[in-house]
Amino acid sequence: MHVLAAQGTGLFIQQIENGIVLGAIYALVALGYTLVYGIIELINFAHGDVFMWGTMVTLTVTQAFHIGDGQVVGGFALVGLLILFIVLSMAFCAGLNVVIERFAYRPLRTAPRLAPLIAAIGVSFILENIAELWRGANSISYPLQFPIITLSLGPFSIGLLEILIILFSIGLMYALTRFIQGTKLGRAMRATAQDPEAAALMGVNINQTIALTFLIGGALAGAAGVAYTLEIRQVAFNTGFELGLIAFTAAVLGGIGNVTGAVLGGFAIGLVQALTIQYFPGGNGIEWIDVTVFAILVLILVFRPSGLLGQQIPNKA
Amino acid sequence: MAMRKAGQSSPLRQGWDALTRQIGDALDNRKIAGRPIRWYLTGWRGGVLALLVAALYPFIASFSPDNAQTLISTGIAVGIYVLLALGLNIVVGYAGLLDLGYVAFFVLGAYTIAVGTGGIMKDAAGKVIQIPQFNLWILLIVGALIAGIFGVLLGAPTLRLRGDYLAIVTLGFGEIVPIVFNNIPFFYGAFGLTAVPPAPIETPIGVIDFGSFTDHTAFYFLVLALIVLVVLFVVLLRDSSLGRAWIAIREDETAAAASGVNLVRTKLLAFGLGATMGGLGGVLQGSYLSHVDPGSFNFNISISILAMIVLGGIGSLPGVILGAIVFRFFDVYLLGVINDWISGTFLVASPTAPLHFLYNLPNQAQFLITGVVLLLMIVLRPQGLIPNVRRQRELKGEGVSAEALSVVGALEAEEISEVAVVGLGAEDATEYAGPGSDARGREE
Repeated sequence: MHVLAAQGTGLFIQQIENGIVLGAIYALVALGYTLVYGIIELINFAHGDVFMWGTMVTLTVTQAFHIGDGQVVGGFALVGLLILFIVLSMAFCAGLNVVIERFAYRPLRTAPRLAPLIAAIGVSFILENIAELWRGANSISYPLQFPIITLSLGPFSIGLLEILIILFSIGLMYALTRFIQGTKLGRAMRATAQDPEAAALMGVNINQTIALTFLIGGALAGAAGVAYTLEIRQVAFNTGFELGLIAFTAAVLGGIGNVTGAVLGGFAIGLVQALTIQYFPGGNGIEWIDVTVFAILVLILVFRPSGLLGQQIPNKA
Repeated sequence: MAMRKAGQSSPLRQGWDALTRQIGDALDNRKIAGRPIRWYLTGWRGGVLALLVAALYPFIASFSPDNAQTLISTGIAVGIYVLLALGLNIVVGYAGLLDLGYVAFFVLGAYTIAVGTGGIMKDAAGKVIQIPQFNLWILLIVGALIAGIFGVLLGAPTLRLRGDYLAIVTLGFGEIVPIVFNNIPFFYGAFGLTAVPPAPIETPIGVIDFGSFTDHTAFYFLVLALIVLVVLFVVLLRDSSLGRAWIAIREDETAAAASGVNLVRTKLLAFGLGATMGGLGGVLQGSYLSHVDPGSFNFNISISILAMIVLGGIGSLPGVILGAIVFRFFDVYLLGVINDWISGTFLVASPTAPLHFLYNLPNQAQFLITGVVLLLMIVLRPQGLIPNVRRQRELKGEGVSAEALSVVGALEAEEISEVAVVGLGAEDATEYAGPGSDARGREE
C-alpha cells in the first residue's frame, strides 16, 4: 500500500484508463441488452454468453495459426489477424444471436412475459455448458501478445491496444447511432420498439426487424469478445455470465432501451469497477466487485428504475 | 426469410403434440375397474397413491441389496429438492414473481445446521465461541425462520420492480449471499464447515440418531414426513384468501390492487413463505451432506429448481412435485448409471480409446441437460407435465380470444366497414393465438 500511495495521481490516471477500456467493452455488450429490451422487452439473459462465444472464436482462430504462448505478433500479420478476428467473431455471434431469436424467443412472443425470460435462461445454460464441455472448466490464457507500444503525453501514457479498443468501440457506437437514426431499417427498428402492431400495419416486417436487432446486438457482442480477449487475455466458459450481469447493470444504469444511455452506463460502470479494485477499503476490492455492481443495480432499480437517460415507462408486467 | 403460414408448425412440435395427445388419450380411455386412469391420478386420490409409493420406496429399494443404500440416499436428495420446488413454486407459480436467487435461502438453512450442531466459531478477534448442539426440530424451525426473515428482507426492496427486473435483482441476492459467507472468516470462508455432526432428534419413542451412514431409511422418512406437512400447508395456503390474492397478483397486479389486494403484504408473504421452505431444505441438506461450503451453492442450483417447476408445470402442485422427482432422480442417480454404462460398454476410460470423448460426458453435461430441458419445455409445453388448469387456459389464450371475438361481433353489429372488421379480426387472431402459432400471422 505504501508503494501505491507514493504513486498517487499516476495510479489514479492509470485506473481511469483501465476503467475507460473496460467501459468500452461493457458498453458494446450493454448495447445488445438495450436494443433487444427496447424492441421486445426481453432481458436477453443469454447475451453475455453470446459475448463469451466471441472470445472463444477469437481464441480458436488464434490457435489455428499456431501462435505460441506469449508470442508477440506485429506488422501486417497483426493487422490481418485483427481483421480476421473481428470479422469472424462478429459474424459468428450475430448468426448465433439470430438463431437463438428464431428458435427460442420467436415462438414465445405472445406467451406470458416470464416464458421468454425462462427460455433465455435455458439458452444461457446451453451456451455456457457447451463451451465448458468443449474447452474445459478452467480459464485458458490467451497466447497472442499484442505489441506493447505506449504513447505518452506528459503525465498520461496509454497503450496502443487500449487506444484501438476505445476508438473501435466508439466507431461502432457511432455507426449504430447513424444506422438507427438515419436509415430506413433503423426507422423500422424504432417504430417496432414503440408499437409493434402499429408498425406492422404501416408495412414494417416485424420478424425481420427483430431478427435484425438480434443480429446487430450479436455483432457488437462479438466485437466486445475480440477486445476482451486481447485486453484481458483470459478465456473461460463463465466470463459471459459475470460480464453479462455487469453489462446489464450498465444498460439499466443508462436507462434500458436507450442506446446513448447504454454507452454512458458502460463507461460509468467500467470506471466504478476500476476504482473499486484500487480503492475499496481493506484492499481486497477485487473480491467485492460483484457486490458493488449489484448494489448499484439494486439502488438504481429501486430509486430510479428509468436509469440516467431512460423515460418513465408504465408498468406493463 | 421464408415464413410459414399461421397454423403450420415445425416437425418437432408436431411430433411432440402427437405424443402428448396419445398419452392424454390413454389416460382417458384405458380403464381400471370401470374408471379411466386419469380419475385415479387426480386430486387427493393421486396424492394418496403418490404417498403410498413414496412410503414403500425403501422396501422396493431393498430388493436390490447392492443398490439399496444408494437408492435411499437418492430418495433423500430428491425429497430435499421436492421441498425446494414447493417453496419456489409459491413465489414463481402462485405469486408470479420470478425468483432466480432461491439458492440464497438454501444456503441460510444449511449454515444454520452447520453452526447449530456444536459449531466451533471464531469471531473477528480470534476468540473461540462454542455453539451448543441443538436438536434437529429446533434447527429446522430456526433455519426456516431465518430463511423466512431474509426472504422478507430481500423481498422488501424489490417490491416496486417489474417482473423481469425482479428476476435480475433476486439473482443478485442469490450470488451475494454465498459470496458474503465466503468473505466472512467467522464462517471459515471458502473452506466452509466440515463434518457437520448429525443432529439427534428427541421423539416420544426415544432419541433417533440420524447419524448412521449405513442406514439412511430413518432420515428418508423424516424428509417424507416434512414433505407431507409442507404439501398440506401449501394446499391450505393455495385455497385460502392469501392464495387467491397471489394468483390475482400473478394475473394482473393493477387489477388486484384495485380490487383491494394489499400488494406489499401479499408479495412479502409469498417471498417469506417460499423462503421458509428453502430454509427447511437447507437444514436437511446440511445434515445429509454433513459438509457446508459456499462454493457448492451457486446459480446452477437456483436454475435447476426453476427447471424442475417448469418441467412439472408452473403453479401446479402435483406438477412441481413430479418435476422435482423426475429431474433430481435423473441428476443424482440415472446420470451416474448412464455414465457407468457408457464407460463399461465402450471402454472409453483410457485416453487412447477412440471414443474417449464420451468418458464422463453424461456427468459433465448435467447442466447442459438442465438448459435443454428448460428451453424445450418452455417452448414446446410451457404448461408443464401436469398443467395447472387456469394457467393452461391462459397459455392457450382461451379466455382472451373469446373476449376478442365479442369485440369483433360488437363492431359488426355497429355496421362499421367490413374492411376494418376483417383487419381487427386478423390482428386479434395473431395477438391471442398463443404460443402455438406465434406471430407469424402478421406476415400476411
